[in-house]
Amino acid sequence: MFVSSWLVLLFPLLGFVGLSWYGNRISKSFVGLAGCGTIAASFFATLVTLSELLFLPAAERVGHVQTLYQWAAAGSFKLDLAILVDPLSVFMFMIVTGVGFVIHVYSVGYMRDDPEYSRFFAYLNLFIFAMLMLVAAADFFFLIVGWALVGLASYLLIGFWREKTSAVLAARKAFVMNVIGDVGMVIAALVIFETFGTLNFVDVFASAPDKFRPNDDAALLITLLLLVGAFAKSAQLPLHTWLPDAMEGPTPVSALIHAATMVTAGVYLVARCHVLYELAPYTMYFIAGVGIITAVFAGSMAMVQYDIKRVIAYSTMSQLGYMFLAMGIGVYSLGMFHLMTHAFFKALLFLAAGSVIHSLDGEQDLRKMGGLQKVMPLTHATFLIGALALAGFPLTSGYFSKEAIILSSYYAEMGNVFFWTVAVLTAGMTAFYIFRVYFFVFAGSPRSSSPHPHESPAIMVIPLLVLATLALLGGALGPWVESFLAPVFGNVADHPQDSALETIALVAGIGGIATAGVLYMVGESRLAFFKELLAPIYDVLFHKFYVDEIYDYLIVRPTKAIATFLEQKAERDGIDFAVDRVGMQVKAVSHGISLWQSGKVRAYALNMIVGVVTILLFVVFM
Amino acid sequence: MLSLIIFIPLAAAFGLLIVAKENVVTTKIVAAGAAGASLALSLWLLFSFDPANPGMQFVQIFHWVPALHINYLVGVDGISLWMVVLTTFLGLIAILFSFHQTERLRNFVALMLALEAGTLGVFLALDTILFYVFWELMLVPTYFLIGIWGEGRRVYATVKFVIYTLVGSLLMLVAIISLTMVHYGATHEVTFDLRVLMLTHIDPSMQMWMFLFFFLAFAIKVPIFPLHSWLPHAYMACPIPALILLTGAMSKTGAYGFLRFCLPLFPAAVESFAAVIGLMAAAGMVYGAWIAIAQKDLKALVAYSSISHLGFIMLGIFAHNGTGIEGSVLQMINHGIIASALFLIVAFIEARMGTRNLDELRGLSNAMPVLYGTFMLVMLAALGLPGLNGFVGEFLILMGVWTSNIFSGLSGILVLMGGLSIVFASIYMLYMFQGSMQEKSSNLPDGLTDIHQREFRLIFPACLLIVLIGLYPKPFIDRIAPAVESLLHLEKTVNLHTEEKSH
Repeated sequence: MFVSSWLVLLFPLLGFVGLSWYGNRISKSFVGLAGCGTIAASFFATLVTLSELLFLPAAERVGHVQTLYQWAAAGSFKLDLAILVDPLSVFMFMIVTGVGFVIHVYSVGYMRDDPEYSRFFAYLNLFIFAMLMLVAAADFFFLIVGWALVGLASYLLIGFWREKTSAVLAARKAFVMNVIGDVGMVIAALVIFETFGTLNFVDVFASAPDKFRPNDDAALLITLLLLVGAFAKSAQLPLHTWLPDAMEGPTPVSALIHAATMVTAGVYLVARCHVLYELAPYTMYFIAGVGIITAVFAGSMAMVQYDIKRVIAYSTMSQLGYMFLAMGIGVYSLGMFHLMTHAFFKALLFLAAGSVIHSLDGEQDLRKMGGLQKVMPLTHATFLIGALALAGFPLTSGYFSKEAIILSSYYAEMGNVFFWTVAVLTAGMTAFYIFRVYFFVFAGSPRSSSPHPHESPAIMVIPLLVLATLALLGGALGPWVESFLAPVFGNVADHPQDSALETIALVAGIGGIATAGVLYMVGESRLAFFKELLAPIYDVLFHKFYVDEIYDYLIVRPTKAIATFLEQKAERDGIDFAVDRVGMQVKAVSHGISLWQSGKVRAYALNMIVGVVTILLFVVFM
Repeated sequence: MLSLIIFIPLAAAFGLLIVAKENVVTTKIVAAGAAGASLALSLWLLFSFDPANPGMQFVQIFHWVPALHINYLVGVDGISLWMVVLTTFLGLIAILFSFHQTERLRNFVALMLALEAGTLGVFLALDTILFYVFWELMLVPTYFLIGIWGEGRRVYATVKFVIYTLVGSLLMLVAIISLTMVHYGATHEVTFDLRVLMLTHIDPSMQMWMFLFFFLAFAIKVPIFPLHSWLPHAYMACPIPALILLTGAMSKTGAYGFLRFCLPLFPAAVESFAAVIGLMAAAGMVYGAWIAIAQKDLKALVAYSSISHLGFIMLGIFAHNGTGIEGSVLQMINHGIIASALFLIVAFIEARMGTRNLDELRGLSNAMPVLYGTFMLVMLAALGLPGLNGFVGEFLILMGVWTSNIFSGLSGILVLMGGLSIVFASIYMLYMFQGSMQEKSSNLPDGLTDIHQREFRLIFPACLLIVLIGLYPKPFIDRIAPAVESLLHLEKTVNLHTEEKSH
């Protein structure tokens, strides 16, 4: 049963291996075909798995562990290579392979002129494989393996243009940040193994409620350590600094990895381990708190950036904050629903932005864009749909998922008025910054230096249209998602209805759009007074709250300084010197007794034996 | 069988001395043939080894000095099995690689073969005196290899290395002899057979002394922080073919010594010193990694990363439970593979660019795609990427440390230090990899070529093993496990009255 679930993983792996080995020897069009074909096959296999799952009665859809072989048995530690098929993993399969496929197709057009076309598709396939591994893993060990491989793929793709210094540095930053998260997860796995004697999800979650009382130390420790990994991967405070820099990679990468799939891994992790998190309510509050603070923190920074990709990157951080908020207040299926709609509209926004950048020969500065509405009608329309969905405009997909989370942040058991207020504030900011981008890029007259802005080729536009359709209509899937995931999360209570709160949130969103519009109409020159008034705040926001600089002074520089200090002082002048001194002392003493040095080997041998025997006597008769 | 594995390289080493110096072809055939035969035999050994049997297999005995009951006694169990295979594997690679060496090739490979034989002897000897003889035998070829073919401050490095190790090993000789005397005191029987001596109960205070003597010898050889200061000098001076054997195989003899001698012979001492040694090992892990971050010379960087990784291995051994020790033995294999592959890569780069300095290296990736790929794989294994072999060992070791009874309260700190060194590993490995391979360089030499087929063949087996052990470590661990379990559950049967007396 569920043989197809292995095929889901196998195709992208074959794609990666094949393209790495033979990529340079086959034609470009075949590379594109192979790269996309493997993901299409994987998506098809996902559909087969899904239909197999749907044939089962709802209660029997969970806990299907598919074992391949026993991976290791060392001491008391035993582990199988296995994957877990249940609604949650299949749900993630669908997003990863579905959105992944669309982005692969787009990349065929976007990367057309890149000399290292095949390497790019090899990495993309590796990423899809790693992400599927992450969500398919049946235990914490292979979760970590997938987790780290995803980090590797992200590293490779951020640093794809490996001759660019900024890309190399950004890639290193992302990798090291993710390793910190990995270490947190490894330690979490150790604690889990010590507590449960197994790393298997099914067994751990089955026995957790009997093992822990709420807020037991071990439960808090495990959940918090797992969060280190989740926050690092999902760019939540304080491990977020790598995400904006990750925009050094090609735009389809930003869409696939840093918007639609990889960054949601942390959300997935909390959803997967929700049994543990429910036993640690303190951690849940912590997640919700960090989520909402990240949401507003990133949203505020997005309002002032001029790099189109950075704005969308901060927006991703902010939306992930919403998802963590949903996880923290225990409305898991809403969080997963927002994860899905976000994957649609954020991938759309990134790809549309990519289309703009592509047509302006790589220009990413908002101030040098403008007036593209007429030149790029399809890109314009799709971007608008994406922006509306992100802003939560009624009846778009983002409206259904975000509105539901905001409402729950007040009505859920752990909800409160603070969460709700900040969530609404962030919604306003979101609408403002994305429409600020929209007006900058598409309205007014051209400010670009590029001679021929043009609409992108069909192979890039069709993916945009597909995603736009999903972003527009995906909201209708809400009830289905909830019932499909119900076997994993348990049945959700009725949704709260409160038209007053809903209206306020809605007004905030539309207000944001309107503000962006008005400010744009008025024109920057006439806002100089306000700009001066708000300059200090603007400055802090523009410099990302100086977090990078703070980390540099507090962590990076001391680490390097200590490294040099250890090498110079501890190693050379300390240990090495001391050892040499001992040597010299011995030499000095032996000068004194050099009378014994007759030069005869026999005498030396005698001395040595005498020495050994003396020590021997000393030891034996002590 | 086992004797053939040891003595084929040794005989070839002496045999080479009658080959004319100028006769390079014969030299190469003899050397490669001997190393290859030794590897083939050890692979045969691997497949005829009975994984379920925890005891010594393929035991060979023959009387050497009958008057003192010193025997030539060799045997193999799950721990030494892998060390033997690793040594012969690296031996062949190192010998083949040393054919690049043009100066006095004959003497060089002869010494390399002798070094390989000595290392194999250490792993296989079951007689304590025989062990000691092989232990010292390793030292002689190393002395000449570094002293004659080395670079930089080679004389200083050799003298330091030899004196340092000799201090340790002489004390070990004392402990070896007193071990037999203790056994004689209990049974009036002279024996140097380790299997018999293991069963002897030794008075705890006596254990402390003997443990410390053995400890010094092994700890210097590994080396454990802060007894490591010979290593950077020796590694920097050592020619790279010899370095492959030195770091890949010889550094494992120290860790192996702990497993073969200290753990079974002196359980009481191990229990009382474990926490201190654990801290030393963990300190070395962080210390080595931290210094590696500041290194500009690729060879020095790998040397310090070795100190860090060897600290990991020691930590696992002194966790004193199945998971930790099995992880350590696996990590010995992994480190042997990874470190030697890294040194090969350093050599490839140096041969082309004429420098190992990171400040002068940049942007090699476009000219050398094959090296780029292999380097990346090896680097990822070295920084412990989950899915590759390095992580398997590290994970098991950390698991062992975390669940260790002997570390008890310290476990948390030790695991955190392990975590820190993993983070540092990712930093220095990326410095090394990105610094040399990526970005753009304007002054690449003309005609810079990718690694040749011949070079690729040297490094390819290592790459294969890196992936294989990562995907499927079970066959490796399954052979280690029974030996480790029997080591942990050894029961002392001889001289028990001393214990009663001491209570």
